[in-house]
Amino acid sequence: MSFLRYVKLLKGKFPEFFDALKKWGEIHAPVKRGKFYAFAKVDSPSEIVFEYNRTMIPPKKYFVKPFEEIMKVKIGKGYELIAEEPRKLVLLGLHACDINALRILDNVYLDEPQDPYYAARRANTIIIGISCEPDEHCFCKSMGADYAWTGFDLFLHDLGDSYIIRVGSSRGEALIEELSNIIVEPGQEDFIKLRDFELKRSRMFKKALNTSHLPDIVDSLYNSDLWVKFADKCLGCGSCNLVCPTCRCYDVTESVDLNLEEGVRARRWDSCFMRSHALVAGGLNFRPTRLDRFKHRYNCKSSVEPRTGLFFCVGCGRCSVFCPAGIDHVEVLNTIWGLT
Amino acid sequence: MAENLCIPKPARIVEVIEMTPIEKLFKLEFVNEEDAKAFTFKPGQFVEVSVFGVGEAPISICKSPTRPGPLELLVRRVGRVTSALHKLKPGDIIGIRGPLGNGFPMEKMKGYDILLIAGGLGMAPLRSVLQYAIDKRGEYGEAILLYGVRSYREALFKERVIELIEHPEQAKFKTFLSYERDDPVFDELRQKHHENVRKGVVTVLFECADPYIKPDKVCAVVCGPPIMYRFVLRELVKRRIPPERIYLTLERRMKCGVGKCGHCIVGGASSIKYICKDGPVFTYSDVLSIRGLV
Repeated sequence: MSFLRYVKLLKGKFPEFFDALKKWGEIHAPVKRGKFYAFAKVDSPSEIVFEYNRTMIPPKKYFVKPFEEIMKVKIGKGYELIAEEPRKLVLLGLHACDINALRILDNVYLDEPQDPYYAARRANTIIIGISCEPDEHCFCKSMGADYAWTGFDLFLHDLGDSYIIRVGSSRGEALIEELSNIIVEPGQEDFIKLRDFELKRSRMFKKALNTSHLPDIVDSLYNSDLWVKFADKCLGCGSCNLVCPTCRCYDVTESVDLNLEEGVRARRWDSCFMRSHALVAGGLNFRPTRLDRFKHRYNCKSSVEPRTGLFFCVGCGRCSVFCPAGIDHVEVLNTIWGLT
Repeated sequence: MAENLCIPKPARIVEVIEMTPIEKLFKLEFVNEEDAKAFTFKPGQFVEVSVFGVGEAPISICKSPTRPGPLELLVRRVGRVTSALHKLKPGDIIGIRGPLGNGFPMEKMKGYDILLIAGGLGMAPLRSVLQYAIDKRGEYGEAILLYGVRSYREALFKERVIELIEHPEQAKFKTFLSYERDDPVFDELRQKHHENVRKGVVTVLFECADPYIKPDKVCAVVCGPPIMYRFVLRELVKRRIPPERIYLTLERRMKCGVGKCGHCIVGGASSIKYICKDGPVFTYSDVLSIRGLV
């Protein structure tokens, strides 16, 4: 693709940029919710908190809902998909880690046979990234997910009084075309500023995970005792799965209406920490202990998605922040590495 | 979107045969002709069976695509969906999604003898390979079946198995049977045909079958309860059958069957695999390189 054009937007013109996005559809952006942040619908730029560290629930909620009905059941007759009006959305203000996580989910859900719901929602959503500065939990740099090369329509780099915008798709290009009266061409001094910002940012990371041949380290030390003290602390609650931007396991349920003529098949986010996750009919469980399930998650997150070459963990830090037992993803893996 | 992989297609139960107290053979026909036409499968593939209002369960196809007629599924009553399925009768409609999974590489197995080792319900997917190999006689060598059951009561297709042992001249393949619990019918059969019938677990049959197993020209195909694999694989390795010619078909809690829902993920971090999409058929070489497969 020959995109990746750079344009510049003065912050004073942001409201006009916002209004132009509104023409595409509902704008959802990070807002403050109590102590934390969430992606939610916004009507004006003033509601957006661009200086956020991370939302509790990642953007995956827009594409695979925590709980959703996926099929109508007509008892004795058949199943049909539930027709959904595609909702035009703009996700404004995604961090690079979350954009990379969506690329991973794309390779699962858009792989044949495509998930029809995911595909329609993804096609109707504009993704706009925003640059960020790491806090003490971020380790996206270790995972190679601290920069979005692709997977967005526009990416905003905050340079203080202006944004340098990277254009990442033809749809992004079309948006910029419409804004030709408010955008300007960036000059060399802007690119120097952008470079300096990135350089400063890359030096701000406090947390690092040794990812060199991480899959092999996890494999070869899978049966080591090093995991036990963490697994013993783990409550098995599955919070890490819910807040993880790449966790994608779902469970399927079916229920019948009171009229006994119809019903629905639904799916909901599942968690590999639940005992039922690897249980098969007849009672055999392929991951019977919490230690098995604990290691399974680290195994999954330390593996590499073959097409993007990215780890299944993007280093957003959510699982560590929201773990009620205080288990830190990086500390666990660095312990396996013998670094702590 | 490959639609038949996402949405269950209505199929009518045309016949139900009670095989054992807990296993029934269901014969099914698609309600819509276009669904029937679109459904082409390979031995070793499976389908997701939907019971309306109850849910879905993965079930392997129990017949060969070389045989015309209804789709056959052998189902053990063991969970929520299969219990509901067992209550259904001819004429009732269920949903079928598939075929799913890779199936056995019948092309690769051409020219080889086929050694089938089935434990209990493992007979269901292996029946499709057996039928296929004997229907395409010229393309495969000898077929040898080692079938291990716990008791007479639990044996599947037992009348046929007994017939094949009593009249080997009619059979197109060699049949060996092992059973664990005393039983007058099987005991008598064993006394008469000691060279084909033994008491014990399925591995005791290697002694009988050894004269027919030619390691350099055989493909082994194994299906049974998880515990069985370890012991059978040991016997096959001992006989120097190369790992890439030993095939196994595996089971997991496959909810979606198309590599998305995540329940059947196995393997080490360097090689995660989905049993439903990358399998359910794997070779012993895969077992050696993918952790947690058996």
